[in-house]
Amino acid sequence: MASWSSPLGRASAWTLIGVVLAALYLPMVPPLLFSLNDAGPVAALHEPTLHWYAAIWKNGVLVGAVWTSVAAAVIVGLVASTLGLLAAMAVRELKMRRLVLLLILMPLFIPGVSMGLSSALFFRQSGISPSLFTISIVQVLWALPFATLIILTVMATFDPVYLEAAYMHGANRWQAFRDVELPLISPGIIGAATFAMILSFNETERTALVQGALNTVQTYIWSTYKQIGLSPSLYALMSLLILLTLAMVVLFMAAAFWRERLRKSA
Amino acid sequence: MMGKVARKTLLALPLLFTAVFLLLPLGLTVVISFWEKVGLRVVPAFTLRSYAEFFSGVRFAVHERSLLVAAEVTLAGLLFAYPIAYVLALRASRQTTRVVLLLFTIPFLVNHVIRTFSWSYLLSRSGPVNEAVVALGLADRPVDWLLYSDFAVFIGLLTSYMPFMVFPLWLALAGIDRRLVEASWLLGAPPLASFFRITLPLSLPGVFAAVIFGFVGSFGESAVPIILGGTGYQLMGNAITSTLDVINFPLAAAMSSVVVATMLLLLAIWYVAFDLRSFLGKILRWRL
Repeated sequence: MASWSSPLGRASAWTLIGVVLAALYLPMVPPLLFSLNDAGPVAALHEPTLHWYAAIWKNGVLVGAVWTSVAAAVIVGLVASTLGLLAAMAVRELKMRRLVLLLILMPLFIPGVSMGLSSALFFRQSGISPSLFTISIVQVLWALPFATLIILTVMATFDPVYLEAAYMHGANRWQAFRDVELPLISPGIIGAATFAMILSFNETERTALVQGALNTVQTYIWSTYKQIGLSPSLYALMSLLILLTLAMVVLFMAAAFWRERLRKSA
Repeated sequence: MMGKVARKTLLALPLLFTAVFLLLPLGLTVVISFWEKVGLRVVPAFTLRSYAEFFSGVRFAVHERSLLVAAEVTLAGLLFAYPIAYVLALRASRQTTRVVLLLFTIPFLVNHVIRTFSWSYLLSRSGPVNEAVVALGLADRPVDWLLYSDFAVFIGLLTSYMPFMVFPLWLALAGIDRRLVEASWLLGAPPLASFFRITLPLSLPGVFAAVIFGFVGSFGESAVPIILGGTGYQLMGNAITSTLDVINFPLAAAMSSVVVATMLLLLAIWYVAFDLRSFLGKILRWRL
């Protein structure tokens, strides 16, 4: 593989990356086309209509699902980033760091169905009925490893010398954290919250097993597909989720870019 | 002002959260797998009936097929992800690497169920892939085995979990001290030998982490086999959900526990053999 430093090797490597990325991005296109005209992609390009998007708001169950999704995403964004911050600090400060980190990262290694099933059985046995609470719990569990890793990477760039300086000026640990470290690692916390919200919006398998009578947009799409199959309104919903996810990524990148510029000009 | 105890308690919160809402439920699932199903009710007992039912029936064939499919997907994922991670870690500029890694993150963020629905169109008889096949003269009529087949499931699983495998591989490869590779060149080893004797062994923690991610994902996946496998196509993930649909909790719990035990075994091997230091040590400056 060292032969990849040759021009030919390099070209084939970048071709591979290009082909793989194309295969990963291609599936984001069909829902957009089918949502614009149920007759198919060709018709969608000639006579696009937003009819199916408007139809979403006439479906009461669906409007409920939208609100459940939004509420869950806000809760998961706030809770996962807070717990992620605490977890990152725990990895830094507590003993047995490897075990602490392994426990936090555990949800990454448990298949979604198994996690959903175990949570469902657990809530059932402890008499907690399915609600926004149970949905938020499984989604926070799923988002926590990512939130923690993001905050950890940003924390690793923070120089502890600043904290020493704060202590020398008489700050206690809490003041030093709040006034010195928190502002410097806040991009990581915002990143963790954004990532957690995106993961929440896009979670199906775990949520579907603990939601009870509620629905999120994702689980609504999934259960409607299983009962009656795909329809233009489902494609419209999928398109909205894809666009929302992309928009959040772009917004976050733009914010990071501006912060960087502000920092450089300061 | 915060006391030492209060601070420790606060830091322990996420651990407590994971212990209560993940470890406890996983343990409870193992317990319930030994319970008995009486009519529509589940009563505490100690019976191996669910395991017997699982290991003796058709479901065990599903288990074996899942293992095979997951192994194939993981292997294929490595074949794609390793060269990509290698180029990004050792042959590309920092800026390019950042952009490409971000490009790999975005599809992972968009729900894979949605992406899988798209594959069911892309691979269908009248879909663009078949149109291209016919237009290029590779076949004179649309190919049937593209959809509702092992192939379709393979594509669905690969595109769902391969992006995830690039990251640990990149982390491991980027952390290799390049002087080691250069030293082996200086000592006269040909490039390929340097790769197999230095780079590959040093990247093994990342390889194993990628294997776990690929394997966990494709072994327990439930949506892809339903959407792309066609009627009756079962892997462990959707076999568990269909067991749940008939409200057989102990059996579902037994199947899920076997899956989780497989994963934890892999994780334990990784933890003992490689330790997180060699892998996450680069992004975390503190000693783990």
